[in-house]
Amino acid sequence: MADAALAAAAAGVTDMADKDVKIGAALAAATCSLLGTATPGVSMAADAEPKWDIESAFLYYGESDDRVKDLSLSAHATRDFGDERTLGLDLSVDSLTGASPSGAIATDGVQTFTSPSGRKTYSTPAGEIPLDESFLDTRFALNGSWSQPLARLYTVSAGLGFSSEYDYQHIGANFGLTRDFNQRNTTLSAALAYGQDTVKPVGGLPLPLTQMGDAVDDAMSPANRGDSNDTKDVLDVLLGVTQVLGRHTVLRVNLSYSDSSGYLTDPYKILSVVDPVTGDLIGRTPAPGASGPTGVYLYESRPDSRRKEGLYAEMRHDFGGKVLQVGYRYSTDDWEVDSHTLESRLRLPFGSSSYLEPHVRYYQQTAASFYRYSLANVAPLPEFASADARLSDMDALTFGLKYGHVNAGGNEWNARLEFYQQSAKAPNEVLIGNQVGNTQMPDFDAVILQIGYHFKL
Amino acid sequence: MHKLILLAIVCVSLEGCASLGVEPWEREVLAREDMQLDANALDTAFDDHIYFSKEGTSGGRGFGGGGCGCN
Repeated sequence: MADAALAAAAAGVTDMADKDVKIGAALAAATCSLLGTATPGVSMAADAEPKWDIESAFLYYGESDDRVKDLSLSAHATRDFGDERTLGLDLSVDSLTGASPSGAIATDGVQTFTSPSGRKTYSTPAGEIPLDESFLDTRFALNGSWSQPLARLYTVSAGLGFSSEYDYQHIGANFGLTRDFNQRNTTLSAALAYGQDTVKPVGGLPLPLTQMGDAVDDAMSPANRGDSNDTKDVLDVLLGVTQVLGRHTVLRVNLSYSDSSGYLTDPYKILSVVDPVTGDLIGRTPAPGASGPTGVYLYESRPDSRRKEGLYAEMRHDFGGKVLQVGYRYSTDDWEVDSHTLESRLRLPFGSSSYLEPHVRYYQQTAASFYRYSLANVAPLPEFASADARLSDMDALTFGLKYGHVNAGGNEWNARLEFYQQSAKAPNEVLIGNQVGNTQMPDFDAVILQIGYHFKL
Repeated sequence: MHKLILLAIVCVSLEGCASLGVEPWEREVLAREDMQLDANALDTAFDDHIYFSKEGTSGGRGFGGGGCGCN
């Protein structure tokens, strides 16, 4: 039903003038049917000014050392149907290229690996962190949402989302309810989102903690692969309070809970198996006539559930037209990844229609309980292990500056340039022998450039 | 323990809320676009997507960032 309403809304873009009322009615009906309530007496007031508000942007994200690059085009459109009824549409296209760390450690010699497809091999020079260079993807994402008053002081919203990559698909739905109190100075909100993702890695799902085998031709299946795809379900719950603190200050506090279950492993990540005393990679010889790994590498294994809890607080304060925004997030989960994020923006208007907005963000996390720099070659193996640096101790810093200019038509051009620097550290207790004091982590710098145009139709 | 502390913060905040706020005619500044908590939705969406792909935790502000096999 909601799908039909969204399709109707998309059609309405080209022929808005006379279809607005119909679309509004269709969306209201769709929302009400989702909510299981009767359609309220929605006013079809002709005096409601139809209005699209569209933010569009081009984004370039590029990491140092020819790692991941992303070119992205996005649009976020909201359509006001009057009576506080709004439609939101988000469209995004990403094109990703580059190389991504595989999880294997750097060694003194050249290392050869079998690619994720199981058909080819690639090599990493001595002393360098192994990067899987077959990282290439295009992602499409579409989200639609509808929001409207439910009764006096209540607002309800519902949304659907979809995204697709060649090896990954996501569908999701969300539902939210807000209630105003205290002359609308206090708003309580509750929201629920459910998503189901399907992972279909190239070459099939590797069996956890089994060895990377030699490359094989198209007639054969790569070694140690299981099913072609698996799923993961994610349930998110968000409870929030927004409070006006004064004429110049507003505060929001959110509590969040997230439950993921299913296939949470990264099918492209591996671990190096090392000597339990020296910490050096265990060598391997490919079968006669075959090409394949020159070391012992195991596919990673993560638990099939993860529960996260978080606290998020954000404040905006105006002082004489300048706006200071400060945000803090604390997150903790049963993988033992605890994180703190502190973020601030300061919007500085100048001239009659321009502003500059410096931005700084600091992020810090602890390692997951099953994070390993490498795996010691001793039995039994741990049940879960991952060498993904994103699950190690880490901190990251972002500095950025945004410039915006509102033109004579009331539309805004803006550009922002940001620098992101990430530094990971393997906890000492996971280091073995010679690795102590000699770790190489896949740290990187990235540049983010965004050019945007915000306009109304 | 964390949950109790969070609950306490929320309760204390709510308790104090009744005496906070402004009259409807005092909302001139709060109504400005740059004072909206959800302003710059696109910047937020990009950032959520990037940090979701590169860091071990995500979310908190809203539901943004997920639905990606980012490696």
